[in-house]
This record gives sequence, structure tokens and C-alpha cells, in this order.
Amino acid sequence: MSTRGASLKGLLLAALLVSHMLLTKEGVTSMPICPNGSVNCQLSLEELFDRAVKLSHYIHFLSSEMFNEFDERYAQGRGFIAKAVNSCHTASLTTPEDKEQAQQIHHEDLLNLILGVLRSWNDPLIHLASEVQRIKEAPETILWKAVEIEEQNKRLLEGMEKIVGRVHSGEVENEIYTPWDGLPSLQLADEDSRLFAFYNLLHCLRRDSHKIDNYLKVLKCRLIHDNNC
Amino acid sequence: MDLRHLLFTLALICANDSLSADDDRLQWPQISKCRSPEMETFSCFWTAGNFYNLTVPRILQLLYKKSNEEDWKECPDYITSGQNSCYFNASYTSVWTPYCVQLASKNEVYDKKCFSVDEIVLPDPPVHLNWTLLNTSQTGIHGDIQVRWDPPPTADVRKGWITLEYELQYKEVNETKWKELKPRLSTMVPLYSLKTARDYEIRIRSRQRTSEKFGEFSEILYVSFSQIGIGCDHCTEEVEFPWFLVVVFGVCGLAVTMISIMLSKQPRLKMLIFPPVPVPKIKGIDPDLLKKGKLDEVNSILACHDNYKTQLYSDDLWVEFIELDIEDPDEKNRASDTDRLLSEDHLKSHSSLGVKDDDSGRASCCEPDIPETDFSASDTCDATSDSDPFKKATEKEEDLLCLDRQDNDESLPSLANTDLQRQHRNTQSENSHLWAPFGDRPSVHTQISNQNSLASTDFYAQVSDITPAGRVVLSPGQKSKLGRAQREACTEQNFTMDNTYFCEADVKKCIAVTSQEENEPRVQEQGYSEDGYFTTESLTTTVANLGASTAAPPSSEMPVADYTSIHIVQSPQGLVLNATALPVPDKEFNVSCGYVSTDQLNKIMP
Repeated sequence: MSTRGASLKGLLLAALLVSHMLLTKEGVTSMPICPNGSVNCQLSLEELFDRAVKLSHYIHFLSSEMFNEFDERYAQGRGFIAKAVNSCHTASLTTPEDKEQAQQIHHEDLLNLILGVLRSWNDPLIHLASEVQRIKEAPETILWKAVEIEEQNKRLLEGMEKIVGRVHSGEVENEIYTPWDGLPSLQLADEDSRLFAFYNLLHCLRRDSHKIDNYLKVLKCRLIHDNNC
Repeated sequence: MDLRHLLFTLALICANDSLSADDDRLQWPQISKCRSPEMETFSCFWTAGNFYNLTVPRILQLLYKKSNEEDWKECPDYITSGQNSCYFNASYTSVWTPYCVQLASKNEVYDKKCFSVDEIVLPDPPVHLNWTLLNTSQTGIHGDIQVRWDPPPTADVRKGWITLEYELQYKEVNETKWKELKPRLSTMVPLYSLKTARDYEIRIRSRQRTSEKFGEFSEILYVSFSQIGIGCDHCTEEVEFPWFLVVVFGVCGLAVTMISIMLSKQPRLKMLIFPPVPVPKIKGIDPDLLKKGKLDEVNSILACHDNYKTQLYSDDLWVEFIELDIEDPDEKNRASDTDRLLSEDHLKSHSSLGVKDDDSGRASCCEPDIPETDFSASDTCDATSDSDPFKKATEKEEDLLCLDRQDNDESLPSLANTDLQRQHRNTQSENSHLWAPFGDRPSVHTQISNQNSLASTDFYAQVSDITPAGRVVLSPGQKSKLGRAQREACTEQNFTMDNTYFCEADVKKCIAVTSQEENEPRVQEQGYSEDGYFTTESLTTTVANLGASTAAPPSSEMPVADYTSIHIVQSPQGLVLNATALPVPDKEFNVSCGYVSTDQLNKIMP
């Protein structure tokens, strides 16, 4: 009976995992580092880009959902939409704003920009994950998503650094990075102001994650598929 | 106050509704939507409102402003997107930059909207829908098709600028509800199991991958199998799933299964459904055996059973005895010798006595290590042989009529407790053990083991006198404890006590002891005076004499005097019993101490 119970448990676990993957629409599967288990193998650039695109898409999906939930839960009665000024801290980074610019920019520059944006978000995401827990009656989904985004962002950063290492020829440029100074606003005593700060941050996060997702797809199509995705 | 508030709100709502519904009323111009089909350009649309007609025509302007700009600029293109629209081409579009547009006319601002382009992406519908047949079923009734399409031409999917996902919907031509497929990234999708006899309609729409809103539907694609010549004209009848049959057979099958389960796994299922009602049960005793078993076996079992009990109760025995004695005078009365002697059946019924006292009826079949057993070494009934618990109780403390063993010894009353035939048999010593008073044949084969509990003082357990005719006069005697270990006890017995008498067993035992024999001591009848009576004193001497003379244990052939008839009832305290001559048994009595079964009795009796 015990073995039967164990096998049932295993089955249940497997079913749960599969259903989770399906429900999240995008299972960020941990693919094997290298096929065939070789030690010193290298992933192809295509593989790296595939993973990076998957990660960026997942991050954007999470941040989009998180923003929507936050909007529903906290922003509706407060008219945040009208107040939204959207001055994100990454605005100082000059990223391509349309397709033309994205096509014209050199891929290395674009990669660096992507890295810069990712690095700039490292710090805010950490604080977001911790501060969002202090929001009164924060829904569990928002809390979970904040933590997840922060994790995935780290992974994407690593992946991007690998890609940059592969693609980059020549010397390493100065690191692009924008510091974030929004922590005090997340810790304001006034609840309205604090929530507005969160709203802005989440809005910026959604926007920047969409940017990165788009840039990576453009790069992938350009570099891997030769503009013929 | 609240009610008034509510009424006011309701009035406002009604007014609003009427306002909007009424064309004659004033309608403000408002921006209906802003949309970007490919994330490269975007357009804003508005409604003019109706007061535009009522008064001097005003010119509506759409002003826009990027978030990092200060001034409001006017719409660059009012034409391309149609009337009441503003088109922003690629040069004006910055994707992730927040815009604000407002609908204004000279001085008045009618509506304002803020957004960023990536939020308002609504792709165009896919184009070039077509389908191909994959295969058909063998019967030709169903078929699979593959639907293909192209992404909207405006969306630059090839360069990866925008990623679209598509949702396909299809239905039969005369149906009303569309069936949806899950959104997918690929531009082809198979549709399985379409009925070849029917025509289908297909439409597709697309959306940006991370958005929620879909764009417009594409044109409808018509699927008709007959066009490609595989229509099944004669397949009009449809084999519908036979639900009715399925249900009927399912129910029948279920019933059959249930019945078979019930029948096959009967015991367990029965246990589940009808749990057995616990019946009273004595541990270790098989009720079937009681019903049909031989009395021997039953008695032995009961004796064994009681042995365990006595072990448990050994410590409390003294207390129990006392308690029993005090608490239940009725018991005592019932257990009196008189009753027992009067009717065996009646006596038998007093098995409750046996139940009460665990002391009683210890069968010698059981462990002789029971502390109470004095005669553990002897073959006779163990002290733990069956004896009336009541007997034991009573004889314990009080003057045990029988020779007092150390503890819980066999009771003389085993003699008296012929009623305790239900008591365990003493398998070892099988003397028919009537508690017979010593008569002219004092060779009553008493079971020593049964000497334990002579009961209450009420008990006519003492032989006060024995008539020359062989009758025994009984009287309730004071019990005097006769401490006695086997041999030693015998000798130490207080024979001199007044009114003390000895169980046959005891006497026998003494004799046996003295004669170095411990097998079922029987009082040798011959040892006693032929007069048939003796007094305690005489007994003493007799014993003493016997001790010297008798060497052999009482023969088993000695018949047991079965004094079961009452001859004279003297005063309230005396009873003279008729001695019934017993035939010499051919074999040894296999009667446990203290009582004899009717069968055995019948054997004994002529």
C-alpha cells in the first residue's frame, strides 16, 4: 500500500507541475545546460537567445499581470491613472523608441542597453519584493510575482551577460547603469503617496520589461534568423 | 439622509440615460479610442457629439503631448484614418513614451486621454485564410482540415518587432455559437473531425502576445467538403452517441458489479455494512463449546479460566471474601448448604457465586503456581480448583470449614457446592466431590481443592453430629481457620476446635498426608468407625490413628456418600441428612472438587 501511495503522490505531483506550467502559459523550463551532459560544452547563440527571449517574455507577462492586479486593487479609487507622470528612473537611458531606431542601432549597443536596463532594475526589484509585503493586505499573488520577477531578472541578466560575452568583439564598454532612488517613496508614511509610488514603479516595470522583450526579439530575429522570423 | 442621497443618485442616472439616449440632447465630443495596429503608428478616434450641429460649427482639434514635452501640438493627420480621427505616423510615434491627447475646440477641452503606444496595440486581422484537407475517416463521415493564414501585413512579425498570437473560431453554418481554439503563435492550425456533410465557417483574430485585447476578426472562411468532392450525400443520418443505451447499460453493469462484490466479498462487506453486534463473551471460552461440548471440557475450561482470574484477584482475595460475605447475605443464603443439598439444580443455578469469586473452582488443570493453592504439590484438586467463588470468599476469612489452606485454598465447600457443577472440573483429581458431610462413610471423596471456601457461617457446612444410622447432622458452624499447609497443616489442624469439621477432602488429605500419600486423599471409610459418625474429637483421634495406620490412600473405589436427602430438619440450625448408599464406583471419580455433575451423579447413584 505504501508504494501505491507513493506512486500516487508522484503522479499527483507530476500532474500539479504540468498544470502549473500550463496555467502560467509560459513554462520557464530549466533546460539542460548542455545537451549530452558534456562538461565544457557551450550553448549555441541561438539557444541562448531562445532562453533570453523566453525569460524576458515571462518577466513582462508577470509584471503586466502584477500591474493589472495592483491597479484593480489599489488604484481605482484613487485616480492614479490621471496622476501618472511616468517618470521612470530608466528614462535617462536612451533606448530606441520605435522600430526604425531599433533597426538602426548596432546590436552590441542594443545589447549593452539591455544590460543597462536590466542592471538598473536589479536594485528596485529587490526593494519592491520586500516593500510590497508591507502594503496593507497585499494579495498573495502580487507578493509572489514580485519575488518571481526579481529572481527571473537576475537569471536574465546572467544570460544576457553570456550573450554579450559571445557577441561582443573588442573591449568592454562602460557599464550602463542608472541608479534608483525611489526607495524612500516606497516607504512613505502616507498610504496614498506610498501606493502611488508603487503604482508608478509597477508601471515603469511593465514598460521596461516590454522594451527588453521587444529588443531581444528584434535582436534574435536579426542575429539568428537574419530578419526572417 | 442616505435615502435622499440614493434618490438623488438615481435621478441623476436616469437623467444621464435619458440624455445619452436622446439624440436631441447635448452630447459632448469624446475620444472613443486610440489604437496602434503594429506598434509603429497609432490613430485616435472620436465622436463629435451632437451639439456640433446645434450651434455654430466648431472645429474640433486633437492635441497631443508627449510626457517630456510642455506644449500641446495638433494632430498631424486628420485624414488618413477617416473622419473624426487623427493619425500619427511612424515619425510621430514613440512606442514607450507616454502620450496625452485631448479633444478640444478653441478654448474648450472636451476630452482627454493619456496612454503609451505599447498599451494600445490592436493588430489587424490575419489575411489569406485557406484550408486544405488532411484526411477523412474511413466511413467518410468525418474529415480533418488544416487552416492556414498570414499575419496581418501591417505587423512586422518577420523582424520580430511585434509578436502576435491568433485565435481561431469555427462553427457550422447554421449554428449560432462559435467554437474557440486556444490562442497560438503559429499561423496554421488543424481542425479535426469535421462533418463532411456540413459546411463550416472559420474566422481568426490576432492580438499582441502580452496583451489581453484582440483585434478585429478576419474575413470568414467557408469550408465545404462537397466542393472538393468528398461530400457524403447519403450520410445524412448521424450516428449520435447512444446516450440512452450507455446510461442503461451503465446502470445495469454497475448493479451487477455491486451485487457481485457483495456476494464475493461477503464477509468483509457484511462486516462493513452490518457490523457484528458484540455478544457477551468470556475470554478464552468458546460459546459453541458451552452449547455442545462435554461438561468435562467445559469445566476444565472454566477452571482454567478461573485460574487466571484468581491470579488476578489473588491479592484482593481476602478483601473480596470479606466483602462478599458482608455484602451479600443473600448470596450466602443462597449458597447455603441447605439449598445446595436440597436441589442440585437449584444449586447449579448459583453459578453466580462462582462468577463472583474468582477463587472458586480452580481446576487443577491449571497452573499449580497459584499462590492460593496449598495443594499445589498434590494431585488433588488444586487449591485453585473449581470452587465456588463464594465459597472461597467465605471460607477464606472466616473459619474455613475445610482445613484452611494458606490462601484461597480449595474450599471444602466444594463439597458443599454441588451446585457448582458448572464450575470447572478438576481434571486432576476427579473425585466426585460432594460436599457431603461426614457420614458413616466418611470416605467421602472430597476434593481437597474444594476445601477452600466454605462459605458463610450460614452454611451448613459443619457436621455437628453424625447419627449412628449414618446420618449427619449439619449445623452452621463457626468457622475456624485451620491453618494448614499440606502436611504440616494437617497435623496442625485445630481438630480440637469446637464445631470444626473437616472437609472430606481435608480429612482425606490429612490422612493421605500422614500416609505420605497425596493422591486424592480420601477418607478411608473403613478408617472411620462403622458407626458412621464422629465428632470432631473423635475425628481427631481417628485421624491420629489413621495417620498411623493408614498407609494407602483411600481407594478410589470408595463410594462417595451422596447425602442428598434431608432426613430431619432439626431446629433452625440443624439438618440431618440421609446417607445415600453409593455404589462403589468402578472407576475413579473424575469429578472436580466440590461438586459432581449430574452425569457422574447418575453413574454413582444406582
